[in-house]
Amino acid sequence: MVEARLLEADETRPEGRHEMGALDLARRLPSLLVAAKDVAATVMHGVHGRRRAGVGETFWQFRPFVMGESISRIDWRRSARDDRVYVREREWEAAHTIWLWMDLSQSMAYVSNLALQSKLDRALVLGLASADLLVRGGERVGLIGLTRPVAARNIIERLAEALVQETGRPDYVALELPADQPLAPRTQAILISDFLTPAERIRQTIQAMASRGAQGHLVMIADPVEETFPFTGHTEFRDVDSSATLRVGEASLFRADYVNRLAAHRDAIRQVCVSRGWSFTIHRTDRPASEALLGLRMQIESGYSIGSFGGAQ
Amino acid sequence: MGALPLAFSVPMVLSALILLPALWYLLRLTPPRPRQIDFPPLRLILDLKPKEETPARTPWWLLLLRLALAALIILAMAGPIWNPLPASQGTQGPLLVILDDSWAAAPQWAQRLTAAQERIAAAARDGRPNAIVAISDGARDVMLSDSSRSMDRLRALKPVPYLPDRLPALQAVQKFIAANKQSEIIWFADGLASGHARAFAESLVQLVNSDHIRVITDERPVLALAGTENNASALEARLVRSQPKGLQTASLTQGQVRAFDLKSNVIGEAAFNFALTNETKARFELPIELRNEIARLEIVNEHSAGAVSLLDSRWKRRRVAIVSGATADLAQPLLSPSYFLNRALAPFAEVREPRAGANDPILASLNDRIAVLFLADVGVVAGAAHDQLARFIEDGGILVRFAGTRLAGSSDDLVPVRLRRGGRILGGALSWDKPKPLAPFDRESPFSGLSVKDEVSVTRQVLAEPEVGLAGKTWAQLADGTPLVTAMRSGKGLIVLFHVTADTTWSNLPLSGLFVDMLRRVVAMSGETTQADGAEANVKEANRVVTLAPTRTLDGFGIMGVPPVTAKPLPVNYEGTANADYPPGFYGPIDGLTAVNTLSVNDHLDAADFDGLQLDMQPLRPAEPIDLRPALVALALALLLIDALASIWLGGGFGRQARRATLAALILFAGAELTDRPEFVSAAQAQTQTQTQNAPPARTSPREIEAALKTRFAYVVTGDRTVDEASRDGLLALSRELARRTALSPGEPNGIDPSRDELVFYPLLYWPIVTSQPQPSAQAITRIANFMKQGGTILFDTRDALLARPGGPPTPEALWLRQLLAGVDVPELEPVPRDHVVTKTYYLLDNFVGRTTIGQTWIEALPPDQGDQSNRAARAGDGVSPLIITSNDLAAAWALDPSGQPRFPLIPGGTRQREMAIRAGINIVMYTLTGNYKADQVHVRDLLERLAH
Repeated sequence: MVEARLLEADETRPEGRHEMGALDLARRLPSLLVAAKDVAATVMHGVHGRRRAGVGETFWQFRPFVMGESISRIDWRRSARDDRVYVREREWEAAHTIWLWMDLSQSMAYVSNLALQSKLDRALVLGLASADLLVRGGERVGLIGLTRPVAARNIIERLAEALVQETGRPDYVALELPADQPLAPRTQAILISDFLTPAERIRQTIQAMASRGAQGHLVMIADPVEETFPFTGHTEFRDVDSSATLRVGEASLFRADYVNRLAAHRDAIRQVCVSRGWSFTIHRTDRPASEALLGLRMQIESGYSIGSFGGAQ
Repeated sequence: MGALPLAFSVPMVLSALILLPALWYLLRLTPPRPRQIDFPPLRLILDLKPKEETPARTPWWLLLLRLALAALIILAMAGPIWNPLPASQGTQGPLLVILDDSWAAAPQWAQRLTAAQERIAAAARDGRPNAIVAISDGARDVMLSDSSRSMDRLRALKPVPYLPDRLPALQAVQKFIAANKQSEIIWFADGLASGHARAFAESLVQLVNSDHIRVITDERPVLALAGTENNASALEARLVRSQPKGLQTASLTQGQVRAFDLKSNVIGEAAFNFALTNETKARFELPIELRNEIARLEIVNEHSAGAVSLLDSRWKRRRVAIVSGATADLAQPLLSPSYFLNRALAPFAEVREPRAGANDPILASLNDRIAVLFLADVGVVAGAAHDQLARFIEDGGILVRFAGTRLAGSSDDLVPVRLRRGGRILGGALSWDKPKPLAPFDRESPFSGLSVKDEVSVTRQVLAEPEVGLAGKTWAQLADGTPLVTAMRSGKGLIVLFHVTADTTWSNLPLSGLFVDMLRRVVAMSGETTQADGAEANVKEANRVVTLAPTRTLDGFGIMGVPPVTAKPLPVNYEGTANADYPPGFYGPIDGLTAVNTLSVNDHLDAADFDGLQLDMQPLRPAEPIDLRPALVALALALLLIDALASIWLGGGFGRQARRATLAALILFAGAELTDRPEFVSAAQAQTQTQTQNAPPARTSPREIEAALKTRFAYVVTGDRTVDEASRDGLLALSRELARRTALSPGEPNGIDPSRDELVFYPLLYWPIVTSQPQPSAQAITRIANFMKQGGTILFDTRDALLARPGGPPTPEALWLRQLLAGVDVPELEPVPRDHVVTKTYYLLDNFVGRTTIGQTWIEALPPDQGDQSNRAARAGDGVSPLIITSNDLAAAWALDPSGQPRFPLIPGGTRQREMAIRAGINIVMYTLTGNYKADQVHVRDLLERLAH
């Protein structure tokens, strides 16, 4: 018999086990460098070599001094070697910003005995691991609505601490979708959720976020029970977010209908994503988390043309 | 209800049983709950119509269970009673309840009241009025009343501590019967003949038809203590009982008597066994000192005034007087015979010595109501003293004389044997004999049993003339057979002569322990002399003090308490037993209590004899009526529980919630079961009562005992909830970290109030400063100062690092702390120097960070640097700094919530800061516990080098 339950309140809080799981997962993948698709002058400074002279720390080239430039830019050591005066130029380094969002709502706190861990745990591990990967790849990662994008070595701890602070607030309400606010252009969003809200609502959110040209990746976490619907007999289904219930005399007769509905829902979301150029991945909690992380990395990399700049490291 | 002893108090309810079939039909239709499953994607299919909805039917066994449940509840509501009381005799007249309320009824008082209440309730159900007569009320008129008033009256009745006469009450009964002819009489008799029981019963039979009289007595015999004697070897309590009827089990014939002192401390217990007689004795074989302390004897588990016997000074230690023949002894008082005697007698007797210069010391002593008179080397007693002394001995006094040069020279007739003039000297210059040791005591001698020490030797003695009967008078003799102690009965008294002096000039006997034991035996032989002696003195006293006010008296249950208002002052020399005017108890001033007891030495308890009166005799309680309601309700609850479990099981297995609910239900059920059992509860209460009676007053709280057993830290409760929680959680987290990282595993921290709690158990006291907290009292500040002097450390945390500016005005917290420390001897402070030992006790630290990092930490200033110590890594003073002041809010940085998450964000933040805060805490704890030990550690290298050379 399939057993499924909601997690207790104290089980849903982000904790050390998520940090450790995320670190463990991230260490197993090579560093991820997001292909820089479009480098513009407005992009924030960071650690990516942009193969152009600019503001940075690593040496790029010496070039002759041009009149009118500030004298302080002259590299006197190099200039002393011959008659000309040289200016040292550094490589222009810039980083991408990745916005991360993980669904911590009630419906995520759900685990069946077919799954390896709860949807919530999986979402947290996946999100934090990708944050670590991205930061080690030189990107800056932030939580939508919670933190600034930063590129710190202890990004997992930072994000986790921010989540703890947020969920610990007395007036905290877990949202099913991020706020409908546009993201800056040339940023990317990673949304990890079970996406059980109506597809129309999801479309609105994505539309809003992508309105200024941001890219995004949706990872849909699903419990195996939610896909296979293995219930039989006289059953009363209860919604977790609302008080709605559905009482059925024989649950197994509902399976075909449910599977159809689920497929339609997913198709609708996928349609929304494709229309915006976002990616959409489905991940089941009975599969290892590394699989999902690998897929996410492929999506992030393949979403852009790598050819023009390539990885620096 | 036929042969079954079962009755229902509300039989109408049973008709509800016919509703069961309808219930069966209803239950059959209601299906069990479906399995409940949480399903997040439910929104996707909410609009689908259910295809099949066929509710399953209730299984037959569940149906049966529920029907049984309903039937049980209906039965319980009907009030079933097992062994119901017999129905009334069919009379319609009023019910007259006569209650014997003497102390003899006290042990079964509750049962008597219950039985009487049941009868009254039964009569009230038949619509009959009733009346109550308590025998001790005497001739007061009897009034008819309704049942509720009678119940109140019954509850207010208490047994009286004496045996009232029934004849006065008979008049009231006669008057009542004359007014109400058809009355039914129920007499709860105490079973004793005293108080005209037989005459009372005969009169009752004449008053009404004997069919309408029922006499209810207890089959148990009445036990009582009648008289106590303090004999030479034991205190004997005389027990009497009324003739028991029926079987005599061990529980009725055997028992314990317990002895208490005036403060109700138990002194001893003695067993008694009546066997087949109605009188027996319980012996307390205790040292006389303990026996003298006994003020009260009680028969265990016999709660009546008769089962208590009070002892006053008449039963106490004897008064003795010492009169020495010599007056010149006063030059060297420590060598005088009276000094030796005084020292030997003082442990067990009250010694009186007549004042030096008294006219006639013997007369003065005799007027002192003594039991034993010691004469040390008094040759001749003559004149009035002689006559008085002779009368004293005739009346039972004991005269103990010691020989000496005066007695050897000339003696009077108050000696047991005729003495030879001069005596003899052993081992002297002109004698061939060696000093003689003592011979073992004869079995007839009062000294038999005492072991004779070899070191006792006699060099000189007075000799008895050999005469007929000398051997019979000899209590102790020397190895060669010459008498050392002789004694003679004279009247009721005794004359004892020691043939040596009471000092060491003639023998070393007064130096040995044997001397004390011998005197103890002699004094213990003095009987009831105190009453008889000095009649004139008694008369004088009686003229002076006429009455004694009651101090503490016994109630009918034998419990000592405040005297009732009806108690009258007791005449001096009152010899009788207690009655209505003089309830048993202690009378007179506290240092000279006089006891009055319910029974005297000559009293017997005779069972009432109603033979030939054709009375309807009933035992007090043939069979206890048992209310079956609690049992049925408990059973119904159990079935309800089973039903709930079954429903949960049918409704989809045992989830997490279900397990909890089941557990809760089980606990509730067990609790209900326990409280349902009155005997269980009352036993527990009785236990606690006895414990509170016997246990010494406890002043140490269990929390302090806990604190003393395990090292733990404490924080000062400020009254600000957030701060207190932070302190507690912080210290708890720190304690756990200490247990994880170090060899120290502290207990859970305690929150304390310095003005109330003892501080001495805690090595470290964390004191967050909250300005809203009032300043502690002067007394509390003294305790804080003491705590710091005794080696405790207080960690003050002003928590104001963000507000304070260096050089700026002091923060409110700092001002508060300054005011607090104004009353304390505060050493000079300095910011923690880098080489202070507190920075090195466990971790190597630069500063002590907490929730904030910028605050300064202050500690007792170290003594100035010595030149040769300049290269040392750590410096330390002699002791541990009594206070550390920080402003970084340490506890908030340590505090974790129950799920192990940090409770407060840090400024500026980060895991590293939290770790450093923990390290700071560990260092401070290690510093308070180990002191300058780590500073000494830095010598290790030098020491090793020196050893290598």
